[in-house]
Order: sequence, then C-alpha cells, then structure tokens
Amino acid sequence: MLKPLFVFRHALPRKTEIILGIFGFFLFLTIWHMTASSGVIRPEFLPTPFAVAKAFIRLFTERDFASDIIVSVGRVWFAFLLSVVIAVPLGLMMSTYRAVGAILEPFIDFVRYLPVPALVPLLVIWFGVGETSKIAVLWMGTFFQLILLIADDTKRVPTEYIESGHTLGASNGQIMRHIIIPAALPNMIDNLRITLGWCWTYLIIAEIVAANSGIGHMIWSLRRFVKTPEVMAGIIAIGIIGLLTDQAFRFAHARLFSYQRR
Amino acid sequence: MDKFIKVTDVTKTYWSEDGKTETKVVLPLSLTIAEGEMVMFLGPSGCGKTTLMRIIGGLEKQDQGSITLAGDLLAGPDRRRGMVFQSYSSFPWLCVRDNIKFGTRYRKDISAAEKEEITDHYMGMVGLSAYSDFYTNRISGGMRQRVAIARTLASSPDILLMDEPFGALDAQTREHLQFQLMDINKTEKKTTIFVTHDVEEAILLADRVVIFSARPARVVKEIDVNAVIPVQDRRNNKADMQKFFSLRNEILEIIRAEYRQTMEAT
Repeated sequence: MLKPLFVFRHALPRKTEIILGIFGFFLFLTIWHMTASSGVIRPEFLPTPFAVAKAFIRLFTERDFASDIIVSVGRVWFAFLLSVVIAVPLGLMMSTYRAVGAILEPFIDFVRYLPVPALVPLLVIWFGVGETSKIAVLWMGTFFQLILLIADDTKRVPTEYIESGHTLGASNGQIMRHIIIPAALPNMIDNLRITLGWCWTYLIIAEIVAANSGIGHMIWSLRRFVKTPEVMAGIIAIGIIGLLTDQAFRFAHARLFSYQRR
Repeated sequence: MDKFIKVTDVTKTYWSEDGKTETKVVLPLSLTIAEGEMVMFLGPSGCGKTTLMRIIGGLEKQDQGSITLAGDLLAGPDRRRGMVFQSYSSFPWLCVRDNIKFGTRYRKDISAAEKEEITDHYMGMVGLSAYSDFYTNRISGGMRQRVAIARTLASSPDILLMDEPFGALDAQTREHLQFQLMDINKTEKKTTIFVTHDVEEAILLADRVVIFSARPARVVKEIDVNAVIPVQDRRNNKADMQKFFSLRNEILEIIRAEYRQTMEAT
C-alpha cells in the first residue's frame, strides 16, 4: 500500500494527495510550535501558533481587520483588471502583427526590468499618497509582465490552426475571435492567476510606504508596537486570501477547459 | 487535357536571415492539373514540393509566375483551396462534430440546416459518427486526421491540398486511411494535390505522379498511373503486383539519382 510513494512519478489518489497536503501544514505548525515553546527564541520574536491564532481573532474583533481586507482586495482587483483590459488586446496584437511586436517588445523588456519598489518614490511624487499612486504601483508591477506572457501564449498557437482558418474562409477578425483566442485562452487564464499573485506582493509594498488603510498598513503600524503575533496573523491572512483566490482560479480553469482532461 | 489548375513559371527563393545568401527552392516551374484529378507530388526530402503546394494554397507567395484556378488568378488563401496538414490541426476546444462543422462556418452559400446536414454527412463518410461528442485529445492520431479531412471537405473547396497527411501515423492506420481516401475520392471526385515521400502511397492513390528534382524543384518526370494500373484494381486491392513493384522501382531510382546529386553538391 505504501509502495506507490516510492515509485518515480507514480500517480497518487486525490484523497491521499489532500491528506499529504494537510500533513505538510501540520508538520510546519508542529516544528514552529516546538521551536517557539522551547524558550530558545523570545516570544516577542517568535510567538507560538496559538498566540498567532488568538491575535488573528483579535484583529477582527478589536481592529476591524475585515475592512482593511476589503480595501486591499479592492485595490488588487482594480489594478489587476486595469492591467488585464489593456495587456490582453495588446499582447494578442504583438504576436499576430509582427510590427506591433517589433515596436513594443524592446520598450517593454526595458520597463519590465525596472524594480517596482524603486518606482514608488516617483509614483508618489506624481500621484501623491492617495489611491492613484497605489493603483499605479500595482499596475506597473503587473502590466508589463502580463503583456509579454499574453504575447507568448498567443505565439504558441500552432500556425496550422491559423492557416486552417485562412483556407476555411475565415477573415482575420474571425481567425482572432474563433481560433487564436480560444486556442490561447487556457494558458492565458493560467498566467492571469500567476500575475494576480504578484499583485499582492506589490500591494504590501505600496501600503507600507504610503497608506492609512489596508492589510499592509495594518501590519506595518502593528510592527511599531512589536505586536509580533498580530503581524504574523496579518501575513497569514494574505496567504489565506492568496490560496483561496488561486483555488478559485484553478476550479474555474478545470470547469472552463474540461476538454483538456484526458 | 483540361487545365483546371495552371501553374506558370513559378519561382521561389528563400533568403537567409542576414539577407546575404539565397536558396532557390522552386525554379521556373510550370504544371497543369485537370479537374477531379488526384496528383501526387513526390521527390527527395527538402526538394520544395511542399513549398510549391503551399504557394498553390496561397499560404506562401511566389516570387514570379502565376497560378490560375478555373481561369481565375490566385493570390492569398481562401476557401477554394482547402488544406490538410501533417500535424494535427483539429481544434482541441471543440468536439469532433463541432470541428467538422467549423468547416461550414464561413460558407454563405448554404443555410444553417444544410450546414448541420453536411456536417453529419462528412462525419459519417470518415466513420466518426460514434465519436461525435469526443474532444480531440480523447481520440487517436488517425481519427484526428479524419476530422481534419472531413472539416476541409465540409468547407467545400475546389481543390484539396494534403501535406503528408498520413506521415505521422503508424503503418496500419495509414493504410486504412489511404483506402478510405480512395473511397471518398470515388464519390467526391475532388481535385487533389497530395505531397508525400512514400512512393507506394503515391502509386496507390494517384491518377498521376509528379516527381520533382532535388532543390530547386523542377519536374523530372510525370507518370500516368492509371495507364499502368487501373484505379479500380488498386481500390479493390487487386493491382498487378508485378507492375506495381516495377513502377515503384522506376520511381525510386529517379528519386535516388536526384538525392545523390544533392549529396554530391554539398
């Protein structure tokens, strides 16, 4: 019964995989708890998981953490959708029309390598400390990555699909709508999921630098009072939100593209 | 002979990326094909036969020369020239039936009801009615090629262009599809250009075999296969094997000679 665990690339039942996943979490929690309660590290630096769990509840009951979460989620999705709406059509164009690609690629490659945190001071000068600068940070962090990913997905659509379209009498617009987009969509949705994850990284940077609300702001202001359990609880909250969003994307992906199942 | 497709003095040259060296792929080349004819393009690999077919299909542009179809000058791809590729070109997001129906999608000459009827007709012709709802990643490579053939036929092209469509299939599946294609051809009478490097496949399916030289392609020899082995004998598996093999050896010798030339030239 244990043998499949030791065979290279042997498939496991779904149930076993879930159990192993939960086991992984418990293993981490156990090691954490044992280290924290051994007294080697002072609790100001490493509180026990139970202390963090209590802090987690306090965040909601005493500090209205829920509205911080709503603010942060709102920022992430607004900036993310703003990126998607512009990056998807441009990415499609970059791969279908070589001229568009030739114009945009070198510039995007340049911008892409600018570290987003380095842009924060500039964006604050331009947009102040209001919502606009935070959206701008998130947008800068995702747009230029996403456009190249979408362009790559489009490029991977087999030429034969497009040529089949031509010889079946489809116009360029019809080939785009009926062939290129459906063919590239599964990979695109996957890349949207990954990009949304990056949004969260930049959100915390944006909220730490200049904000008076949001998860990042909450974590940063608690740091001043060395409320380590609350800080850790805040970080864990981000992890949970990320995990839930990711699972929602995966679920939607599996439903939308069930034809990929063998 | 009726000149349904007329290729006149077509040339094609590929330039290297830096634009310095040129490779002539097709020499001034002329060829005519009659309506309803099944023509097989044979030649050493890399000789430019696929390039010529893609030019006829409008997927590549010749440098010089012209191609006419029923008297109309051709430029760019359209629904009059359907193409079946070696790699599987059926769409994975559509089931078998919707893939075949895609062939009728851009036809304005028929009603929606006729499109359904045509879809079912060709799905039956390639023997895939039982797999109507299957997505293409659940069916075999041979079935996917049948989907591609049915889809192309459903678009009602004037000519069918096939680029080594059975090249990636195992021997048994390939033979099955060859005979199926002969059956389809009997009822459809579709003008077909079929590129292959398999000499036996060429003899089995052809009305006429056109043998090309090593690159740059020119026509070395044309063979009227019907004059040697009647098509119904081939279709019924009753071909005179003596004649079949001597024809095969004759063609192989021509291709070998061409191939040797390329090897000596490089």
